[in-house]
Amino acid sequence: MSRSNEAFWWSLFSAGGVMSALFIPVFIVLSSFLIPFAGSQSDETRYDHLVHAVSFWPVRLVLLVVLALCFFHCAHRIRHVVTTVGLRISDGLLAVVCYGAALAGAIATVFVLARL
Amino acid sequence: MPDQQVTLSVFRYRPGQDAEPVFQEYQVPYHDDWVVLDALNWIKESVDGTLAYRWSCRMGVCGSCGMMVNGVPRLTCAAFLREYYPAPIRVEPLANFPVERDLIIDLDGFLEKLKSVKPWVIRDGVDSATNGEYLQTPGQLARFKQYSMCINCMLCYAACPVVGLETNFIGPAALALALRYNLDSRDQGNAQRQQLLGSDEGAMACTFVGECTTVCPKNVDPAGAVQQEKVLAVNDWYYNVLVPWGKR
Amino acid sequence: MRKPYVRPMPGTWYLHTWAYRLFMIREVTSVFIAAYLVFLLVWLYRLGQGPEQFEAMLRATRSPLSVVLHVLALAAALYHSCTWFNLTPKVMPVRVGEERLPDLLVAVAMGYFPWIVLSGLLVWGALR
Repeated sequence: MSRSNEAFWWSLFSAGGVMSALFIPVFIVLSSFLIPFAGSQSDETRYDHLVHAVSFWPVRLVLLVVLALCFFHCAHRIRHVVTTVGLRISDGLLAVVCYGAALAGAIATVFVLARL
Repeated sequence: MPDQQVTLSVFRYRPGQDAEPVFQEYQVPYHDDWVVLDALNWIKESVDGTLAYRWSCRMGVCGSCGMMVNGVPRLTCAAFLREYYPAPIRVEPLANFPVERDLIIDLDGFLEKLKSVKPWVIRDGVDSATNGEYLQTPGQLARFKQYSMCINCMLCYAACPVVGLETNFIGPAALALALRYNLDSRDQGNAQRQQLLGSDEGAMACTFVGECTTVCPKNVDPAGAVQQEKVLAVNDWYYNVLVPWGKR
Repeated sequence: MRKPYVRPMPGTWYLHTWAYRLFMIREVTSVFIAAYLVFLLVWLYRLGQGPEQFEAMLRATRSPLSVVLHVLALAAALYHSCTWFNLTPKVMPVRVGEERLPDLLVAVAMGYFPWIVLSGLLVWGALR
């Protein structure tokens, strides 16, 4: 029996699960409620403040790690949803599509954060 | 008070006679201290001696009488009629197993899975009898005791959708049994069990639905055991990748 | 004679009990989270493109459709977080000496508490 790599993917799923559990709710609240609907600050100062906040490289590094792991968490879960729901898609193809998409997401994150 | 009755709708399958299973209804006397097993025994003794099913201790320790009661895996010796009365009670063989006859399932696959995790104390060498017995503190026993309480009733296999979807999945009871030995201070066999546990048919196939733990009549918590084994599999995987010369 | 009967597993097994339904809901939260991740990347991209682009992004985010979608995404994310923290002590039981700490304590100490603190810090950091 060849050694399975399932444990590796599960480790990414698990780390990503912690990241998404800790960060995603507050990200949603900030990005889609508090910041767009914030009435107190003027647009300029709010914009400048946000740009300044993400200008620190540790902030971008943390964002990269968090978002990349979240992508792999979702990929792993979606992969398993597809198999347990009974959709007849080959295991290998499904894994390539799911983790490939997660990798694409992680790479996209690198580019977006680098251009900030 | 006129004698109360309850309807049991029982899964019947007679190989060679029935092409497909059928449900047969029986009107059973209702007593508020009867369990489903009592009702089945009454049917077999008084009405229909052809009904086939397994049972033994009738007190929740042997694991023989597991069946689906209204779609839920139960020990029929622990499922009281009063939990369902006056509604009809549907009794079927445990889900996710082939049906031999009526309420009797084929559990050969389950027994093979139990054996596959090497459920015995594995020692590195041969211990001499003159060394005396293994010593174990109460704390060391407490580490694995919960996982040793399994009565092999297979309710967890009936509750687990992965068992239904994936024939080769070792399953909750076997994995809990493996952890029972891995955590036993007398056992030195973790490495021998590791490849199976970390394989696609082992702990990694579990998606943590958690129903196995919910239905377990002995509080073994197989779901918890399997999750712990996933972590062990991860440690093992990274160790083998980062320390390839460390044979494990 | 032996002629075992194999009952087929229904394709919609996950709709058959409340436990299975809740399990599937938990798993499907990942679809909402994945969709939000893509949105967040666009949001961050617009942030890097300048104030006008970013303001246009925020205006779109204030639309009713966006609000509805984000409320759904937030509900999904919260359900994921709560189920995750509740299950963490099962995956990594914490032992002090030979005693296993109660699951609730571990869930709060390793999950809910850091979550609330972290969320508070991030809101403070982004909005001050």
